[in-house]
Amino acid sequence: MLWQLALRNIWRNRRRTLLTLSAMVISSALLILCLGVFSGMLKDMLASATEQYFGHLVISAKGYQDDRDMFANFPADLDLPALRHPQVTGYSPRLRSFGLLSFANNSAPVELLGIRPQHEQQVTSLQDHLQSGRYLREEERNGAVIGAGLAKRLAVQPGDELVFVTQAADGSIGNDLLQVSGIFSTGDQGHDNSLVLVPLGWLQQLLVLPGKLHEISLRVEQPRQAAILAGQLTGGMPPELEVLDWGQMLPEMKEVVASYDVSRMIIVTILYIATGLGILNTFFMSVLERTREFGVLMAVGMRPGQIRLMVLLETLAMGLISLIFGVGLGVLLSLYMAFVGIDLSGSLTPITYAGGTILPRLHAVLETANILVPAVVLLLVCLLAGFLPANRAARMQPVVAIREE
Amino acid sequence: MPLIELKSVSKIYPLGNQQVVAVEDLSLQIEAGEFTVLAGPSGSGKTTLLNMIGCLDRPSNGEVWLDAEEVGQADSKTLSQIRLNKIGFIFQSFNLVPVLTAAENAEFTMMLMGIGKKQRRQRIVDLFAQLGLQGLEDRKPNDLSGGQQQRVAIARAMAAEPAVVLADEPTASLDTQTSEELLALMKELNREQGTTFIFSSHDPLVISHAQRVVSLRDGRLESDR
Amino acid sequence: MPILRCFLLFLLLYPATVSAFDLAELIRKVEQQYNGDSSEIELEMTIKTGHWERQLKMESWSLGRERFLVRILAPAKEKGVATLKVDREVWNYLPKVDRVIRIPPSMMGGAWMGSHITNDDLVKANHIDEDYDFTLLEEDERRWVIEGIPKPEAAVIWGKIIYRLQKEPLVPIEVEYFDEEDVLVRRIVFDDVQAVSGRTIPLRMQVLPVEKPEEKTIMHYRKVKFDIDLQEEYFSLGRLKGRR
Ligand SMILES: Nc1ncnc2c1ncn2[C@@H]1O[C@H](COP(=O)(O)OP(=O)(O)OP(=O)(O)O)[C@@H](O)[C@H]1O
Ligand SMILES: [Mg+2]
Repeated sequence: MLWQLALRNIWRNRRRTLLTLSAMVISSALLILCLGVFSGMLKDMLASATEQYFGHLVISAKGYQDDRDMFANFPADLDLPALRHPQVTGYSPRLRSFGLLSFANNSAPVELLGIRPQHEQQVTSLQDHLQSGRYLREEERNGAVIGAGLAKRLAVQPGDELVFVTQAADGSIGNDLLQVSGIFSTGDQGHDNSLVLVPLGWLQQLLVLPGKLHEISLRVEQPRQAAILAGQLTGGMPPELEVLDWGQMLPEMKEVVASYDVSRMIIVTILYIATGLGILNTFFMSVLERTREFGVLMAVGMRPGQIRLMVLLETLAMGLISLIFGVGLGVLLSLYMAFVGIDLSGSLTPITYAGGTILPRLHAVLETANILVPAVVLLLVCLLAGFLPANRAARMQPVVAIREE
Repeated sequence: MPLIELKSVSKIYPLGNQQVVAVEDLSLQIEAGEFTVLAGPSGSGKTTLLNMIGCLDRPSNGEVWLDAEEVGQADSKTLSQIRLNKIGFIFQSFNLVPVLTAAENAEFTMMLMGIGKKQRRQRIVDLFAQLGLQGLEDRKPNDLSGGQQQRVAIARAMAAEPAVVLADEPTASLDTQTSEELLALMKELNREQGTTFIFSSHDPLVISHAQRVVSLRDGRLESDR
Repeated sequence: MPILRCFLLFLLLYPATVSAFDLAELIRKVEQQYNGDSSEIELEMTIKTGHWERQLKMESWSLGRERFLVRILAPAKEKGVATLKVDREVWNYLPKVDRVIRIPPSMMGGAWMGSHITNDDLVKANHIDEDYDFTLLEEDERRWVIEGIPKPEAAVIWGKIIYRLQKEPLVPIEVEYFDEEDVLVRRIVFDDVQAVSGRTIPLRMQVLPVEKPEEKTIMHYRKVKFDIDLQEEYFSLGRLKGRR
């Protein structure tokens, strides 16, 4: 009976209810969309750092990742049980070199990553970001996949021949020709301007480091759980090697990810404080308008607790209705953003932050928490906003209330 | 023992730093089945007195006995329970719940009491027939005339079979003919069901229908006949 | 009174101005000692690091301050690798791939031929007398100690340079290089002073990075000829590639 009364009451002032409802629906939908886009940005960032370069876990000689010392290498033929761990979905052995890449009159400092194409594709996704040309092929001797910024700086196209010079491990001047196979563009300025993928064998020969690696990069099933896995894998490692997770290689990124939950609550709170005040206002008005009616209801025998419950049910009903439509609309908008998105590359450039890159696009990912948190908080806000007016209604003196005009 | 007994009841309202004495040292007994009118000019204390009898308000001094129970100092929860079970209210401005239909308004108190649906329906059918409201069950109060609304209000007050029905100027918002009809109805209910009715009014028409007229002036009893 | 004061001021300022001029000139002479108007030198460069040690034989030519060409003669793997400097530009030639590479400004701090000498040393050492202000720190009958501080507008890498010079004959003994935080980064020590081709110069120069005590680069001059007949056109990209 109270439910029925509450439902009918909220339709009493149709226009006001619809306005309040639409404010609630829109705010929760926008919130869900906003959090989805936020998550999308975070995922882009994490992906740019891990899936375009580091991998989720990296095995390397202890201390190698601090200064990338060429001599901190290890033999490629070590038997590492970590590579067979069920959580590890791919691994890529790599050798790294820093040097000068040159074409015609242009030269640029670069980072060369010697890789085996089939393995590297299991870990990173540069093959999905090719702007022109193609990825390295397994049988290729001296192909090179280079970043778009670098290609522009050197003014090269697929097919052009480059010279790479660096100091080899024996002190000699390592130099050899590379042929551009493809050009990638990830949006990450750091990688696009300096990274070059070359065949592992070619680089081992150039650096006079036959059969040696600097790191083995791993892809794992659950990137967010990489740190735990790193701990598990450390046990089976030779003592001179270590396993680092992306959080250790990119501590700022780890903080960004960790602070996401807090940021989400802050956004939810800020938006809902505004919405909550709106709801509070509406309910107060609707309760004050009905003072006499509450008086009459109490006069005919309704208990104060029932009055309070009735008002709370009204706000709860509003909350549920807006929740259904808000979540529905929010999910629809998020889905649109997830599958279509908005490209902003015309007016914005990518921002590299905390080691990852925020791409100039609005792109959402759907996460349960991004829907659950706004939904639950919306209901809480409704009940909270309903509580004050409900209490006020329940505390009215029937005589006074009835006299009210 | 009378159904209602007021013993030296006073009601004093604070008004700023002054005190308004609405009812002063008033004693009154009303037996079950009476059809009584509280008469008197505006401001004489009729509504105040009815509110105290109806457990909507507590006296400043004195005792209010209802059905052999002192209710003057009971807590608000007890009072609302007494109102639900023993008292029916009829207001000058009808005060029906606008979102409920005529039938729902009438059965509201029965619902609050937890009376089963079947029993409620039967009671409503009977009451509506008696009050000439057949066919109006599903109308909302706004779609009813004043007289019809007040008849629904009477149905609501009577539905739970209260010991006493209190009506504060029930005809003040109605025209003479409708008032006449309503008074006849209430007298009939009083006669047939033995329900005690207490009215307040300064309308001579209403007063003329009364079995007993209690006149008030400045919060005091002026005459009782 | 004013006359006396002026006189005192004159006394105070006069030697300073004169010595400042002399100091820059001294440094210029020291920095140019291996160049002369023109030169042709054969040298050995020994490089020691924690991981390897190697010896390179090279021949070099210079003309004035701004032209310099050096080519590796041995070991066989690097034979023909050459560096050409003209004004402030540096090119390397790599015979293995038959390519000339221009060193971009961003790589000027990089090691030259794997040694402890940077490309910047090649480009900027010749201008130290122009880019720095010098003060005499110490002087006795045998030597000078001179401090060089970069001029405010100069684009240089060192925060401070201290020269220890022998007076007679004028040769450097040691040069210390400090970074902007005034931390000693590198020392160059000169010895084996001999008279060759009409000049007296130290034939051996050791570059010692302070942070890695086990590492060093030694340049030992074997055959030195000054003031030979060289034209500007000699220092061409064609010559860099070893073609006449
Ligand atoms: N809450 C209140 N505060 C102060 N004074 C009040 C209050 N309620 C009633 N009074 C005063 O008490 C007196 C009696 O009022 P009451 O409403 O009982 O009169 P009434 O006979 O019902 O008058 P009417 O015929 O106009 O309805 C009046 O003087 C009124 O002003
Ligand atoms: Mg009144």
